[in-house]
Amino acid sequence: MDEHSDSAALLSRIRADLPGAFDEFVARFAGPIYAFGMKFCGEREDARDVLQDTLLQAYRSLRDLEHAEAMTSWLYRVAANACLMKRRKGKFEPEREISLEELLPGPGDDARVQIPDPASLPYDDAVRAETKARVQKAIGDLPAAYRIVLVMRDMEQLKTQEVAAALGLEISAVKMRLHRARLMIRKTLEESYAADRRANGRA
Amino acid sequence: MSGRHAHGAPECVALFAKLSEYLDGELERGACADVEDHMADCEGCREFLESLRRAVAHVASMEAPELPENFKRDILSAYARTRESS
Repeated sequence: MDEHSDSAALLSRIRADLPGAFDEFVARFAGPIYAFGMKFCGEREDARDVLQDTLLQAYRSLRDLEHAEAMTSWLYRVAANACLMKRRKGKFEPEREISLEELLPGPGDDARVQIPDPASLPYDDAVRAETKARVQKAIGDLPAAYRIVLVMRDMEQLKTQEVAAALGLEISAVKMRLHRARLMIRKTLEESYAADRRANGRA
Repeated sequence: MSGRHAHGAPECVALFAKLSEYLDGELERGACADVEDHMADCEGCREFLESLRRAVAHVASMEAPELPENFKRDILSAYARTRESS
């Protein structure tokens, strides 16, 4: 959802409810919001619901938005809420924060890195598809409150302050959840690749 | 490797909490230097940091899915229905 210089003009047309304003709004934001919903939900039908809920709700609310430059962050807020409502039925907080100790490597864990370096993956469609599926599953297994932060920071490349504003969290909470989300992904991928190595007799 | 401590020591655990901020360049200079000093001396933490960096890079390299054209049409239709009923 990149900012564009014509946000103010679009917002004026939305406020005036001019013909074609909604079409223009959809043309500009539907793709990025759908992609965001897919990254979080992992399923087309869920992402379609997030897309529709976000666009219809946001379009009504945007008329009251004061500053056009806030349009994108406002949309992220609405879309993030739609994602969380979809998956957790309105539950925004995890049952409890996951402690760092739970994510420390155990004494019996192999210290050698098992996860392949994405920069040196072979140009083999099957290997890349398998890697993508493995990463997608690891993302999908995260608790929703952690996953939304990971998607916004590491996939949408939003700044910490932007995520904090969109989710109504303190910056320290965004950093804490991002770190735990990354540690959980790391742990899942390490264990997954380590299991492969053992199965292939290369451990 | 001088190996002044065994990996898993309290200083490794303390460092563990800061690794995302280190990767994101969000640590202050002094704290950043502390991480690098520790890494120079601790192979276990270096391996851990590299596996975390790879995990983050895998997540960041996931492609954005394309919007199916019929989804866009469905939204425009839903909006038209809400206009007619209001």
